[in-house]
Amino acid sequence: MSVKYTPVQWNANKYGYDLVLIGMVVLYILSFLNVAPMFLDHARPTDGPIVRARAFGTCAFLLLTIILCIGPLARLDARFLPLLYNRRHFGVLTSVIALSHAMFVMDWYFNFAPQSKLEGLLGANTSYGQVLGFPFEVLGLAGLICLGILAATSHDFWLNFLTPRLWKALHFLIYPAFAAVVGHIALGSLQSQDNSIFAIVVGLSTALVCGLHALAAWKERGCDKRGNADAGWIIVGDAGDIEEGRAKIIKLPNGDRVAVFRHKARLSAIANACAHQNGPLGEGRIVDGCVTCPWHGFQYRVADGRSPAPFTEMVPTYRLKLDQTTVLVDPNANEPGMFVEPTALPEHMQ
Amino acid sequence: MGTVSNVLMFAEWWLYFGAAVAFYFLTVGIERIDENARGAYVFRPLLIPGVLLIWPLVLWRIAVLERNKPEGFGRYRPLRTAHGYVWLVLFFAIPAIFVTAMLLKQTWPADIPAVRLSPAEAVSQ
Repeated sequence: MSVKYTPVQWNANKYGYDLVLIGMVVLYILSFLNVAPMFLDHARPTDGPIVRARAFGTCAFLLLTIILCIGPLARLDARFLPLLYNRRHFGVLTSVIALSHAMFVMDWYFNFAPQSKLEGLLGANTSYGQVLGFPFEVLGLAGLICLGILAATSHDFWLNFLTPRLWKALHFLIYPAFAAVVGHIALGSLQSQDNSIFAIVVGLSTALVCGLHALAAWKERGCDKRGNADAGWIIVGDAGDIEEGRAKIIKLPNGDRVAVFRHKARLSAIANACAHQNGPLGEGRIVDGCVTCPWHGFQYRVADGRSPAPFTEMVPTYRLKLDQTTVLVDPNANEPGMFVEPTALPEHMQ
Repeated sequence: MGTVSNVLMFAEWWLYFGAAVAFYFLTVGIERIDENARGAYVFRPLLIPGVLLIWPLVLWRIAVLERNKPEGFGRYRPLRTAHGYVWLVLFFAIPAIFVTAMLLKQTWPADIPAVRLSPAEAVSQ
């Protein structure tokens, strides 16, 4: 979204995504409010605010788990890419639900404290030196602050202002946030429950998130081919291996990845990282003459790495040459947006 | 309560400074460093919570962008070095927290069978 900060990219898919998301959250919370009290195993009926706090708390945890699973799932199977498309709205909704959980808790447990609610929350238990009895509320607060930062900086302005690199670094806060939330639940709610269903759900969710990340990293490691050098140029491979409208990704000695595209029997190379959120351009395809990022649909002309007007995003380009049918790339990146004449394939390969 | 009060006072002042930075940034600063923001006003209130929370980072970025120096290829390079830290959190910290909490969990006193401590004849009621 580089052309003014107006909602130019809102479309039926995004509206549909958000409607389904909000519908599922409402359904979950209503179900929890009506069904969970029957399984809470309390001697007396549980108060409404406690059940509401639990409904929103469990909902936030499940949403956080799903958010963390979307990334690796999309790396493992392209059919999950549509979930990635609007993941930021998922994140904002999660932080709102987590905040609602915190408000219910504060309004119930600290409403009549002589000091402010926050002071009551932070001062009620200060046993930081022990595991059992650790002030788990602080872990929840830490997770909530992390989620708040992520939600507050989710607008595309922040990506452009902070740079994708710094924005991504900031958004890696999702991992300590998840760790804090797991600690908050394990040292809090799970310590006081006889019923082990929720402990099993938390354990399985944690294992799922960790397992999917490990699988995705394993797959990426297997696909990551490092190009061999030939007199300063890096060997990409045989030109015949690159499908029309698709790319081959190669890793340079400095760790950067280059996507070599074939379009209309000519080859061009651009950086593999999208200027928007560093999505893998080389896993996208050419649509209407432009490389299209598989994550959010940002487009770049293949010869100069520039987004078509009126958009202004750019990525670095690379020079290519052919040695018979072997494609070689110059590892020195050109300035972002610099035109490089595409390399024509030999006639017998066209 | 002294420490807690100090932490809350720090948070309060953090937000006051953030509000001052947000006022400057969203009225004057943003137009100086981002030409796409010129004439676009509706989205600006959406940025207020972000500025309140990360205002030191905002001030630093304003200073960098005001210098008008090209930022080089760093802007286009994905952050791969952070993956090690993600591994540390996912595969060490989170399982350690969960497993430790479950191992140390105490059973409820109600689960323990009742043991008579005093002989029945010694109990008056």
